[in-house]
Amino acid sequence: MKQRVWDLPTRLFHWSIVLLVALAWWTGETEEYDFHLWVGYAALFALTFRILWGLFGSSTARFSAFVRGPVAVIRYLRDRFSWPSAGHSPLGALSVVALLALLIFQVVSGLFAADEDGLVNGPLASFVSIDLSDAITELHEEAFNILLALIALHVAAILFYRLVLRKKLLGPMITGRAALDPGVAPMRAAPVWRALACAAAALAFTLWIVAGAPPFRP
Amino acid sequence: MRIALFAVTASLAALAACGGPETSQANNSQANIGNSASPPATAGNTAALPAQPPASKEEALKIMHERHEMMEGLGKASKEIKRQLDATPTDISVIRRAATAYYDAAPKMASLFPPGTGPDMGKTGAKPAIWQNGADFEAHIRDFQAATRAFADTAAHIDRDALRASFGDLQKTCKGCHDKYRAEMKH
Repeated sequence: MKQRVWDLPTRLFHWSIVLLVALAWWTGETEEYDFHLWVGYAALFALTFRILWGLFGSSTARFSAFVRGPVAVIRYLRDRFSWPSAGHSPLGALSVVALLALLIFQVVSGLFAADEDGLVNGPLASFVSIDLSDAITELHEEAFNILLALIALHVAAILFYRLVLRKKLLGPMITGRAALDPGVAPMRAAPVWRALACAAAALAFTLWIVAGAPPFRP
Repeated sequence: MRIALFAVTASLAALAACGGPETSQANNSQANIGNSASPPATAGNTAALPAQPPASKEEALKIMHERHEMMEGLGKASKEIKRQLDATPTDISVIRRAATAYYDAAPKMASLFPPGTGPDMGKTGAKPAIWQNGADFEAHIRDFQAATRAFADTAAHIDRDALRASFGDLQKTCKGCHDKYRAEMKH
C-alpha cells in the first residue's frame, strides 16, 4: 500500500523548474532574451510559491520539516540512510536548500541584469548603476555553471539511491506516492485553499516585480 | 575596374583615418569585397571594408582592440539611452551624448574590419563570415549608419515616443548584424 509523500503543488513546482531551467539555458544560449525574461518571470512565480509553500504547505514541503543542522546529517549517515518520516532526508535537504538558493540567486540576479548590447533589461536593472548591472549579469552567467553542477549531483544522488540503496526516488516525485517502511510517518496534506492562496500571493508579487516594483522604480 | 580601384582607395583612406598602415600593394581579388551591390563607391562611402589586411600582427591586434573598445562603448551608450527612455523624467542630454557617440562611431565601423582581424588572429567575437560575405556585411553597416543618423536627428527634439521608435530601429540594426556576424565572446 503506497502512501502519499509529495503533494501536487510540490511536484508541479519540481517539474516546472526542470522545464524552466532547460528553457532558461536554451534561450540564454541562443540570445532569445525576450523569451528568456518570460522564463525568468515564470521561475520567479514558481520560486515565490515554493517559499510560501515551504511555510504553509503540506508537511513534507515545509522547511521546518526538512531543514536541519549538521548533527542530523551525521546521524542520518551513521544510521545508514534511515529516516523516520516521509520527505527529504537531512542529507537530501542540503541539496534542496542549495538548489533553491541558487535558483533564487539566478532569478534575482536576472532581474537586475542587462544584455551586453543594452537591448533587454531586467525589470529592476534601473535600480542599480550600469556597471553594477553588468557585474551582476556576469555573475548571472557564471552561477549557471554552479547550478548545472548541483543538478548533476542531484541526479547522481538519485541514481546512487536507486542502484546502491535500492530506493526509488523518481517514481514518488511523479506519482506523489511511495511505499513507506513501517513506522515512517506519512505526509500530512495541506488543504487546497491554502495552495490557491499561496499561488495568488506569488502571482501578485511576481506581477509587481515584473512591473518594476512600482512606485519605487527610479 | 574603376569601381574596384575606388574601393581600394576608399579602404586605404579609411585605414589611414584609423591609424592603419598605408600599404600600397593593390589586390584586386580582395578589393572585390568592397565592390558590393552598393551605389558606386564615393569618398563618402564609409561602409566599405578595407581591402588590405593590416601590415603586421601588432597592427592587427591594435585594430581589434580598438574595435572591441568601440563596441563596448556603444553597448554602454545603448544602455544609457534605454535607461533614460524608461526613466521619468528623461534626461535628454544623456541621450544626446549617447546619440553622438553612435553618430561618431558609425563612419569608422567598416574601417575596423580589415581582413586578417578575425578569430585566427586573436580573441574576437568577429566571425570569419564577415569576410566571406563582405557585401552583405557592408549592407548591414550602411543600415547601421543610416540608423545612427536618423537617431541623431530625432534626438534633436524632445519626443519620447519618436526617440523610442528611432532607437528601436537603431537597435535592430545592431542585433541584425550581431546575430549573423558576432560569436559569443567572454571578456
